[in-house]
Amino acid sequence: MDIEPAREVAGPPALTPVVEFDGVSKWYGNVIGLNKLTLRIPAGVTGLLGPNGAGKSTLLQLATGQLRPSQGSVRVLGHRVWNNSALMRHVGLCPEQDVFYEWMTGYDFVRTCARLTGMTGRGAAAAAENALATVGMTEHMHRPVRGYSKGMRQRTKLAQALVHQPRVLFLDEPFTGTDPVARRDLLDVIRGLGKAGHSVVVSSHVLHEVEMLTPNVILLHHGRLVAEGQIQQIRDLIDQHPHRIVLVCDDCRLLAAKLVRCADVDGVKMLRGDQAVLIETRRPDEFYARLPAMSLEDGNTLREVYSEDNNLEAVFKYLVIK
Amino acid sequence: MSRRPDLRALAALFVLTLRQHFRGRRLLVLSLLFALPGVLAAVVAVTSRGAPAAALEFAFVFNLIPHALAPLAALLYAAGIIQDEVEEQTLTYLLLRPLPHWALYLVRLLATLLVTTFLCVVFTTATFAVIAVTASEPAAAGLIGRAWKMAVLLALTQVAYCGVFGLLGLLMRQSFLAGVVYIAALEGLLATIPTVGRRLTMMYYFRVLVLRWLAPAAGRDWQIDLVTAPPARTCVLTLLTVGIVSALLASLLFAGREFRMKTPEGT
Repeated sequence: MDIEPAREVAGPPALTPVVEFDGVSKWYGNVIGLNKLTLRIPAGVTGLLGPNGAGKSTLLQLATGQLRPSQGSVRVLGHRVWNNSALMRHVGLCPEQDVFYEWMTGYDFVRTCARLTGMTGRGAAAAAENALATVGMTEHMHRPVRGYSKGMRQRTKLAQALVHQPRVLFLDEPFTGTDPVARRDLLDVIRGLGKAGHSVVVSSHVLHEVEMLTPNVILLHHGRLVAEGQIQQIRDLIDQHPHRIVLVCDDCRLLAAKLVRCADVDGVKMLRGDQAVLIETRRPDEFYARLPAMSLEDGNTLREVYSEDNNLEAVFKYLVIK
Repeated sequence: MSRRPDLRALAALFVLTLRQHFRGRRLLVLSLLFALPGVLAAVVAVTSRGAPAAALEFAFVFNLIPHALAPLAALLYAAGIIQDEVEEQTLTYLLLRPLPHWALYLVRLLATLLVTTFLCVVFTTATFAVIAVTASEPAAAGLIGRAWKMAVLLALTQVAYCGVFGLLGLLMRQSFLAGVVYIAALEGLLATIPTVGRRLTMMYYFRVLVLRWLAPAAGRDWQIDLVTAPPARTCVLTLLTVGIVSALLASLLFAGREFRMKTPEGT
């Protein structure tokens, strides 16, 4: 695995951070969960990306005060997190674990969570109804949780996380196990929370989910920060890897024959039964500059040009996989 | 940011803990076990016509309930105050609230103490009543007074037992097994051996209090010399101190401890 220091990949965002990790390491015995992690997460929606075991859940558990850093310090909204219960008024977490007090109804569960933050009975009831309405669970809120589908359970977990109107919301793999409809609805809810001014940190190992939510990402791998910043920022800084560009034209074989002779093209591959050409280049600017002229030559009109590298999946592969 | 515990939040936690305790199979099993002394007393009273109430009370109310059932109830509930939440992975929902961890533990312990004391008192009183009704030689005189004193005694032992078993639940994963061994070896065996060692058991102080406050005729079987035994006040203070010190130690331990919730992938 090629793991590059984060600072060499992209600089930290300049905005005021809501979450700060300063040289944080977390060990579980001999196993390392996070390794000297330093990062700043700004306000807004941020995606936390990495494969299983990357340290995403450890990061979220540290950020919500459930774990104590073995080394370094974690601050949220400028306050130390560990053993700071007062801070929990401003923090919400939708945990990855699919667990509830199963004997409760969804409404009872969310209202209980609201009451545990110190709300009055009436205030908690209203807050629970609002939170459940936000996640689209009003219709089912009086049914026992044990009878909920996976999507309903995820929404209810999300409702308990935002019932006390936290300023920072951490969502740990909120789309796990949901069907496409529930996934779309949850995406809408999270986008709405971001627009409503909440700072949201969403962890996922499915890249396109995060890509649909926000361009701001943090990439973790093996407990280390691989990259942080905007997807395009990150992409711009990994020029040691060849860019992959797909070209669609009338005669792709003719175009491919021409491209293999270009000095700035490292590789050519036919795609979709010769309906498209995939090229790899380490000098994308030069290549793009020559494209208009190329398009006019031989009457072989380029109908479509796009870079596969704008996809987070590609960025992630570049950064962490050989 | 205010670090003072929010009383409304703590009250909500107290209610949640009560609701958790008053449901599920644990309560059902314990209720059946606690009903056993009353049933057995009735069976003995009916089948052996000469059984006097005092003997039945000594066997079932002063021995079976406080020696076996009361500590077992405390063990089953108190050792799981946090352990159950960890196993169910629902502890996250409590840790994410603005509740100081030490207060979180103490409130859950308080609710647990209330439940186990309630169980002990209700079923002990019921056993008293069954004996009074079915025994061939009724001991109705002073029944309410005895039941009341016994309730106080059981509440005192529950303070000590819940405190100790709550701490045990935080210290070791196999707390149930360790607790059963503790109940059998120390509270069961050591407490009956007339040596200085039995002063290390809660049962000794309970028995001294029973002898001083209720003076059962068969109490001499316990081989406790009231002349050399500690006074009632010392016994009460000992039981309370054991419970409170254990609770405070456990709350500090809980406050300083992290609980890692495993993710489905086991990361």
